[in-house]
Amino acid sequence: MTATDRALAIKVENLSKRFRIPLDRSSTLKHRLTHWRSASRYRTLEALRDVSFEVPAGEFTGIIGHNGSGKSTLLKILARIYRPDAGRVAIEGKVSPFLELGVGFNPELTARENIFLSGAILGLGRVELHRLFEEIIGFAELEQFVDHKLKNFSSGMEVRLAFSLAIQAHAEILMMDEVLAVGDASFQQKCFDVFKGYKREGRTVVLVTHELSAVNQYCDRALLLDHGRLVADGLATEVTAQYRRAIGLAADGSRLSDEVERWGSRDVVLTGARMLDERGVEDCNPPTGGFTRVELGYQIQNDSVADFVCVIWLVRDDGQVLAEARLPVSQYAQVGSSQRGASGTIRYDIPEIPLLDGGYSVNIELQGRRDGATYDHLNHAVRFHVVDKGGRGGLIDPGGVWSVVPTEQPVVGWPDQFAATQQ
Amino acid sequence: MPATVDSGLPGATAGSAAQLNTFRHYRHLTLELAISQFKLRYTQSVLGYFWSLLKPAMIFAITFLIFVGLFKIKDGTQYYGIQLLLGIVTWTFFAECTGSSMQAIAGSAGLIRKAYFPRSILVIAASMSSLFTFLINLTIVFVIAVGLHQIDIGLRIVFVIPLLLELYLLAIGISLFLSALFVQFHDIGHLWDVLMNLLFYGSGVMFSLTYVLQRAHLVLAVGQTLAAGQKLAVGAKLFGGTTVPPPSNLWAVILVCCNPIMQTIEDLRHALLTPQAPWTELVVTGHLAAVNQYAHLDDPWLLPVPFLVVVLIVTVGALTFRARARTFAEDL
Repeated sequence: MTATDRALAIKVENLSKRFRIPLDRSSTLKHRLTHWRSASRYRTLEALRDVSFEVPAGEFTGIIGHNGSGKSTLLKILARIYRPDAGRVAIEGKVSPFLELGVGFNPELTARENIFLSGAILGLGRVELHRLFEEIIGFAELEQFVDHKLKNFSSGMEVRLAFSLAIQAHAEILMMDEVLAVGDASFQQKCFDVFKGYKREGRTVVLVTHELSAVNQYCDRALLLDHGRLVADGLATEVTAQYRRAIGLAADGSRLSDEVERWGSRDVVLTGARMLDERGVEDCNPPTGGFTRVELGYQIQNDSVADFVCVIWLVRDDGQVLAEARLPVSQYAQVGSSQRGASGTIRYDIPEIPLLDGGYSVNIELQGRRDGATYDHLNHAVRFHVVDKGGRGGLIDPGGVWSVVPTEQPVVGWPDQFAATQQ
Repeated sequence: MPATVDSGLPGATAGSAAQLNTFRHYRHLTLELAISQFKLRYTQSVLGYFWSLLKPAMIFAITFLIFVGLFKIKDGTQYYGIQLLLGIVTWTFFAECTGSSMQAIAGSAGLIRKAYFPRSILVIAASMSSLFTFLINLTIVFVIAVGLHQIDIGLRIVFVIPLLLELYLLAIGISLFLSALFVQFHDIGHLWDVLMNLLFYGSGVMFSLTYVLQRAHLVLAVGQTLAAGQKLAVGAKLFGGTTVPPPSNLWAVILVCCNPIMQTIEDLRHALLTPQAPWTELVVTGHLAAVNQYAHLDDPWLLPVPFLVVVLIVTVGALTFRARARTFAEDL
């Protein structure tokens, strides 16, 4: 065993994790009784596929990737909350058993009671908590509210309490899921100060976040996940730059500057696009046959724009265009009679998406109704991955329905065009 | 490839001190969870904790009025009133413990998804508040019994401890089983309600075993059929051959005899209140035969059955829980 081996804090080998998601999400008793046969139908979501990496002790590692890329799943496996389906995780050192701030907080309990309850989850002993109590309350600036119920706290007060408690946990390896996303600017500054302290103390931190600037600032290295696969593992600045290129973010954080993938006069601009499931939740992994909504925002930049049309293409990852959909004439008026600065949302609902397992994307174009001029065209506005529960071949699932009817004698003949050959 | 999560990299030695630390930490966590659940249960109510003492008292009053006042039932045992109270207090513990522990996992979804600790801690913590209430109620029953001179205190009182332990283990075993299944099948909750109703009547809460044996014609019926040559494997061992009418309810008798709740309630009454009607002793001494002149429930074979049932339930509960606990965070 070499010296570097011994300094490892986390070693992950060929880690895979699948989730079985029931296709039937309804939970009313009546629905369950009438659909009991379909209750066992699942789709499988490959949250992590064959991920391997190592984290040396004392290193700050950021995990980045789009929504649903498997970041949080990976962190939860490291924290032992999820069990992997395959692969191996070895961890050396005491791991913080929590992922978020304020774990175990109960609004009906007072600040004092919550400190003892949540502190116990964080691994702090009773004696220790008694000793640290004043310090925790002092840091959170909540001396006058010690015996007030948490439900009467503002969200800022609650976050302060959670944070001052969390920094007392003395784990060697800390796992944090989006802790930077909460609190105001001054609180985030406190977060960063504590992070600097951790760095000085040589603690190992694994951080899941969307804040690429934070990753650049604090992390030594970063892991980039895409649809459950580890696609990059290296210096934080290099990996974040790769991620920015992949999603079309400029270095300054402004979206979409890639000239190759975007063009047009910008008389009307796309302000955003996303994919939602039937509950209106952002979901870039629709199941075959599932409901999917493509939603895009526009803003009119020029008074001379009279009417415009929206065109959406569904494109397979190998470039094959699978479908082209155009906003129908009847809907023109709703987007047409607008002034400069006016904005709106266009939705394209696919009740049962017929695509099979694979990677796809949505190309979007806003064009003038009369002259067909391109106002704004964007390739890969939304990348999505269809998840199929398997057992089907070909290109699409036509959504056919099977039935079997036994009869006394054969009653089905051949179509007319075959009549001659059969007789 | 096998899926494993190791606590240490190769070369690391997990010290026993660290394990002791972990144990201490989880014990502390269990206690903290139990304390906060106890506090939460009685917020938003005027009488607060008093309710847990008031409830068994009220149930007792109703039962006593109906059975003694209205139906004039006397089961021939000593101190029927206080025995009834003890039965109700014990039953209330069992019902509350299993009922609240069942939801311990499903009710802590946020905690399970965000923090790691052995999930059984949640079930044990949930059971502790019921246990605490039970111990206070037992003390109150004891004080009342002494006050009314309805108690014969003897050395057998030491058996209260192992009996309570047995009952608690039974409740934990059932709670582990129920809480693990409840995560995915809320139907379990409704099913358990119905089953509890059945168990209530099959656990001798309102009557003592002696009463059952004296009054239950079903028992009288058992022996004769067996004598008539029916070879029921269990029954043949249970009941010696005598001449009585044919049995229609043999299975019910056997079930009642195998019921550890019945056994603990009956033995608690014996240990705490009166030397009469102890389940275990009756079996050992063959005293049951004397109580019931028709059938001989005196086979020592019966003695370990309730204890074996407890062991079986705890084992099944723990194994079910362990198997399902792996995916609680995903299922919730």
